[in-house]
Amino acid sequence: MTTTAGLPREVMGAMDARLSMPYTLTAGAATGVFLAELAQQRIVGTRCSACETIRVPAQDFCGDCGGDAHDLVIVPPSGDLLAWTVTDQGTVALVLLDGTDIPFLHQVVEGDPAALSMGARVTAVWAAEPQGAVMDLMGFALAPSEPVHAVEEAGETATPIEQLNYQMVLDYQHAYGHFYGSLFDGIKNDRRIRGVRCPSCRNVLVPPRAYCEACFVRTGDWVDVPDTGVLQACSVVHIEFIGQRVPPPYVYAEIVLDGTSTRLIHTVGGLSAEALRSGSVHPGSRVQAVWSDRRTGSLSDIDFFKVIDGPADE
Amino acid sequence: MGTDMKNRAAVVGSAQTEFRGAWSDRQHVDLITQAVSQALLGTGLRMADVDFVIDSGSDFLDGRSISNCGFLGAMGAHHKEESRVEEDGLWSAVYATTKILAGSGSVGLVVAYSKSSESDPRNFWSTLAEPFTQRPVGLDQHSAAGLYAQRYLARYGIDPEALRAVSDRAWAAASDNSWVDAKHAMLADPYWEEFVATPLRRRDMARPVDGAVALVVAAEHVARQVTNRPVWITGMGSAIDQHFLAARDATSFPAAAAAAANAFRMSGASSARDFDVVEVSAGSTVGELMVLEAIGLAEPGRAMDLYAPGSAPGLNASGGSLPADVVMATGLVRLHEVASQLGGRSAHGPTGATTGLAHGAGGIGMQNHCVVTLETS
Repeated sequence: MTTTAGLPREVMGAMDARLSMPYTLTAGAATGVFLAELAQQRIVGTRCSACETIRVPAQDFCGDCGGDAHDLVIVPPSGDLLAWTVTDQGTVALVLLDGTDIPFLHQVVEGDPAALSMGARVTAVWAAEPQGAVMDLMGFALAPSEPVHAVEEAGETATPIEQLNYQMVLDYQHAYGHFYGSLFDGIKNDRRIRGVRCPSCRNVLVPPRAYCEACFVRTGDWVDVPDTGVLQACSVVHIEFIGQRVPPPYVYAEIVLDGTSTRLIHTVGGLSAEALRSGSVHPGSRVQAVWSDRRTGSLSDIDFFKVIDGPADE
Repeated sequence: MGTDMKNRAAVVGSAQTEFRGAWSDRQHVDLITQAVSQALLGTGLRMADVDFVIDSGSDFLDGRSISNCGFLGAMGAHHKEESRVEEDGLWSAVYATTKILAGSGSVGLVVAYSKSSESDPRNFWSTLAEPFTQRPVGLDQHSAAGLYAQRYLARYGIDPEALRAVSDRAWAAASDNSWVDAKHAMLADPYWEEFVATPLRRRDMARPVDGAVALVVAAEHVARQVTNRPVWITGMGSAIDQHFLAARDATSFPAAAAAAANAFRMSGASSARDFDVVEVSAGSTVGELMVLEAIGLAEPGRAMDLYAPGSAPGLNASGGSLPADVVMATGLVRLHEVASQLGGRSAHGPTGATTGLAHGAGGIGMQNHCVVTLETS
């Protein structure tokens, strides 16, 4: 282990990451009926049994008085345009449907937004092929001569849509900052692992960071760390799963690189299933990084750690 | 000081990083440690003296689940009691103050941060909306602000062009605030004139920035030891409106009024007019006007009067949240600003101020509101 001075020649900037989360959203009773009935070109609302407020979309609870008792009603597909805003996602609008008390948030989908006016009569525009979602009602369009219609009791309603499949995809560009950038730059270009020393507890920390968390003091010197270490804990992985990087069996391990006080999570590989069963990898085993042919500037530039001979530190 | 609080709690230190459109060479932890270490400076308090840490941030913005777990060390929370509030940092300050008043600690550290430059913050806002009937029709922070704005301006007969006075004043104030990278001249770029949610242009919308803020709250016996100018927390209140934007009042924020009323009941104030310094948060120019009316600084429809030249010198002297909105932290930034100005630690704000009010907002279309009042003697 050597102490190094000066700044690295390059600091890697940022890492692209994507969170893609599949959901099965449960609509609940009232919203489920509302979504299902759009396929019949009917708009379902609720009339609160306590305060008599009529709202669309149908809700299990009254947002005004909190009551959960209500009747389902069929609301006319026509109303007055209360407000609208033109955005890059369309013209988002508030429409007070005939006979209701609470405006309905949706879109105005036809015509020039410049022709809209507050209080204008509008009527529903329906999708040709319903999908079982709110956009089965595409939105509203101007209908100056549309008469005012009345709310009706719902009677028989369609089976509620219970579940909606939903995929949330969020993209990020995570900044490495100076410390991670220097680490990954060293790994990529020089196959060099760099840590920092805390001036208070003297521990060497990998990955490097601006502050020692335990002491809450600014870290001091940069330190070159060898690619050898001691296995502190391990678990043999036999099963396959989505996203796995290495075919099983392999060892998932906490490795304390020589001279450091931090634990690096990586894998131990290059071993037969038989060797793993016989317990040839265990806490205290000496290991060394096997560097990949890839140079990505990440910890996956180490394919895995291999077991080497030598006395364990402890 | 109101009669409701037996114990007293004070802000004894606070700090922020510079707020920038993008801190592309810093991680969250780098920004957090910078604010936290500075907040303790000058108090004589060390991290070992901090009893607990309360923090605000968003897993969606941070791009990792329970993101506070990865930031604990940076917040000085190693082996300490720590709680995350998934709301603006002003709610974290209320949580911390409540703990101190309840006697469960003497020194609390409050931290809030975000780096919205690492993702598209519009995704964050739309994830707040109900996913069946609200999110798919295009509800997000911009469209919500546009719908409020159209109705507010129509009701009170205000020309949308008049809103330039609000954004100009905010950005001009930010130009004089060395902690914010916003400069009034930037607004000359045609980018800021684009309509993003009519009648609102981009210059009417809060500009997301990266940054962190930290604040130290202490019980009276500690506060008197570590500073000769404690800034006492005299009142706190919060209130939330309905989730469905369509069901809310069209042109006012009753939840902001209720939050302020709660805080005033504790502090003995009658309206926001009682305070020398007022810092409010808003997602848009019209949102800011509606907050000022809700807390009683102006009559309904009259908040534009506060933007006449020379009016309301104690209002958003920092520039407020329009030029620099640290999402999930902007309300705590307002508290930091008020505490700094009252504590004599700020380069801006009126001289001789002894009372102040900080306001924060959260949720889609500013659904949730929080008010904290402060006083120094």
